[in-house]
Amino acid sequence: MVLWGKRSLHRLPLIVLTDLFRSRHLLRLLVKRDLNARYRRAYLGYAWAILEPLLLAVVYTFIFTILVGSSDPLYPVKIILGIIGWSMFARSLTTSTKSLSSSINLFQFARVPKTVFATSGTLTNAVLALISLTCLIPFYFIHDLPITVNLLMLPVWLMVLSFTGWAIGLLLAPIACKIPDILNLINFLVRAGFFLSPVMWTYDMFNSRFGSGWHAIVAHMNPTVVPITGMRDAVIGESSAIPGYGYAMCFCIGLLAYIFGAMVFERKAHRAVVNV
Amino acid sequence: MTVVMRLKDITLEYPVPRQYRKEDILPSGVRDISLEVKQGEVLGIIGRNGSGKSTLLKMMAGVFPPDSGTISTRGSVSLLAGVGVGFHKELTGRENAYLYGALMGRTTEQIDELIEEIQSFAELNHHFDRPIRTYSSGMKSRLGISVATAFKPDLLLIDEVLGVGDVSFRKKSENRVKDLIAESGSVVIVSHSMGLLKSICTRMLLIENGRVVDIGIPTDVMKTYSQQMRIDE
Repeated sequence: MVLWGKRSLHRLPLIVLTDLFRSRHLLRLLVKRDLNARYRRAYLGYAWAILEPLLLAVVYTFIFTILVGSSDPLYPVKIILGIIGWSMFARSLTTSTKSLSSSINLFQFARVPKTVFATSGTLTNAVLALISLTCLIPFYFIHDLPITVNLLMLPVWLMVLSFTGWAIGLLLAPIACKIPDILNLINFLVRAGFFLSPVMWTYDMFNSRFGSGWHAIVAHMNPTVVPITGMRDAVIGESSAIPGYGYAMCFCIGLLAYIFGAMVFERKAHRAVVNV
Repeated sequence: MTVVMRLKDITLEYPVPRQYRKEDILPSGVRDISLEVKQGEVLGIIGRNGSGKSTLLKMMAGVFPPDSGTISTRGSVSLLAGVGVGFHKELTGRENAYLYGALMGRTTEQIDELIEEIQSFAELNHHFDRPIRTYSSGMKSRLGISVATAFKPDLLLIDEVLGVGDVSFRKKSENRVKDLIAESGSVVIVSHSMGLLKSICTRMLLIENGRVVDIGIPTDVMKTYSQQMRIDE
């Protein structure tokens, strides 16, 4: 077997998926390792995955009610979903961008597909996000929220957020090895993105203020706007007036990020690791 | 004799850091190395610090890609490098053994069959089910050697870790490597311990500034190396 044989560029997005499928056993162990290691020394263990969004929601609801005087009784639910959705995207983006530099000790002795490490971090975050969603259960009783078939869209939108963050991270990871400033930039974007994404505000708030002009087109370039709004609609049972181009932009950004991300990662990651 | 690995004109240069680019500094790495590792042989690699020994080993393991040249292998390759490399400090020795095995491409069932042997060889007793962060560096090395050699790769690459632990464990590690060779495994070992290399190597390679200076019978190559060191003094 010849190591480092040439692989055609247009097949790389498919090769990434094939490699991940072949490494599913390792992927499962890495996710288990990350989950075990994350809360092993904490007294409350996995409860932190539920407590964190719940406590943040309490703080933001308190601030928002005082500052803006919001009287929406479902506002805490919307905030929790915003936090879970945004955290899912931000953590997937950050972990996959950092995956090459943070897993360097594992690359140094084993020949495994490097996408495994970017993906295991993303899957770990997905499991934690699913655990976090259980903090919504009390709100179903308090507000008598509807349990409909729409609820099935909740994990779908979470997957879209996770996939898009992971794919953009694949694109940036080899560049971050060469230019460490990228990691600082990502940290800044994650902080700024929290306010630019519908975490504390909602799609309806944006629409009523800016309407459907060019502001709306720019807002839909943010890949978290449609999925977070979709998560809220799935839980609350409402239907936000997201235009068709909004959905199209959301899926195109995710798909293009994956195609280019897979190509750049597969071509550049191996050499980038040498530089680290 | 069957060739388990063939390197043909491989070169890898590390980038020179920006602050040194104006100075007349040659990039480090390995240059134009051609080599064949045969089944059942123990090849020792010696050379000064920074001469390219570990880089060559990482390229043989398929961890680092060459800038030019080709590397072809036959069978499985396992690299044992550094104390506790790849281990997660919050996981137990047992959990790390499973993870290490998975990184080597083994299934849970295959690791299940070997886990008792790994535990007894590493002599960790009850510590095997305690987090790695509670281990001494000697214990980590013992676990590392035990895990890496348990999976019996066709080619085992060892980087400076065989001389760890107490005297009895060192002897045990040497015997394990000899057993591997007897079972048709091949070993490439990087070490500064001439006594150890002399006792286990069938062939030796001297590397300097990323290039092969000498290759052949261990005693001859060691002689070249000691002459080189004397000239530098």
